[in-house]
Amino acid sequence: MTNPNMKKPIDFPSGVTLFPSQDQAIDRILNELKQKCPAQFVLLAEVSGQIISALGERGEINLVALGSLVAGDLAASQEIARLTDQYQNYQLILREGPKTNTFISEAGPHLVLFVRVDRETPLGWARLIIREASRQLSEVVLTPPEEVAKLDLGLDDEKLSAMFSEGLDGIWKR
Amino acid sequence: MHINWQLRELNLKIVYYGPALSGKTTNIEQIHARIDPAHRSELVSLKTHEDRTLFFDFMQIELGRINSLVPKIHLYTVPGQSYYEASRKLVLRGADGIVFVADSSPERANANLVSWQDMETQLESYDLSINQIPIVLQCNKQDILGALTPAAIKYLLHNYSIPTSTAVAAHGEGVFDTLKMITLNVISSIQKQMVTAQ
Repeated sequence: MTNPNMKKPIDFPSGVTLFPSQDQAIDRILNELKQKCPAQFVLLAEVSGQIISALGERGEINLVALGSLVAGDLAASQEIARLTDQYQNYQLILREGPKTNTFISEAGPHLVLFVRVDRETPLGWARLIIREASRQLSEVVLTPPEEVAKLDLGLDDEKLSAMFSEGLDGIWKR
Repeated sequence: MHINWQLRELNLKIVYYGPALSGKTTNIEQIHARIDPAHRSELVSLKTHEDRTLFFDFMQIELGRINSLVPKIHLYTVPGQSYYEASRKLVLRGADGIVFVADSSPERANANLVSWQDMETQLESYDLSINQIPIVLQCNKQDILGALTPAAIKYLLHNYSIPTSTAVAAHGEGVFDTLKMITLNVISSIQKQMVTAQ
């Protein structure tokens, strides 16, 4: 529930800013989801593919690559749903595998959730738990904390440019 | 953009846009080959059987700590072929900056214009105009005989003030300068947004 007295969120044209209290709430929701399902692996990313959190048995999975593909998968699914007039909030994609099933779930306008469960886990149950977690995650991100920290990168434009320039120079092999 | 103040991470998304075969994937491949492996992810490419980009190419660059934040830059390309319009729109979602890779071959002049107009349309679908997001124009394939000059390409696109770089991406020339230019423009833009938002 949104508190009407709460500070207005700082509105960026794109993306999402997470404060420590929101990060803790997200961890709590993901842990609960993992236990309740139960899920083998849970990954939360921003809709453009940037990873926010991952927990469980990740094995050899390349998380960065997975984040970008999960985001792409959700984006394509949303667009297909829109084109075919089937779009609804909290889109869910189910992929049945030989040993595990995976879900990709829209968690509000900013987040996408990837959950891998054992084949033995009833799909209806997993779907229910994942949808609920998606709603909770969305609410956490859309509700800014009471105490909004000072938001800037801490340096003036010129110094920031110089530091980024140096950072890029440092990793480039000529 | 995604900032996680708990983990002190700053995540940026930069998209390479442009007509088919202008060199978008080549840019990313060159970046991937020339960045210290300790600071970059694997290259993810969703390609057709003909080795053309189907959905996107993707890689992540991680810079060292800057003023207590760890910046991570996500690089994406869009598929250039005209019939992948819907995919281009999806890849643009959440972009913090765009590199428009123009093909400097004279016979591709119109393809550049069509792609530029397509980019404007896709941005409009997100309520953005080309003036609201940092864009760098990369005039690629400058080694071609009779290559269009940057001034000619800007004239063609009716955009004279856009930051511009020249490149021969296939040889790695101009690739890093372009990446640096867009990154610095994005950082400057984010810093301004933050100051304005307070």
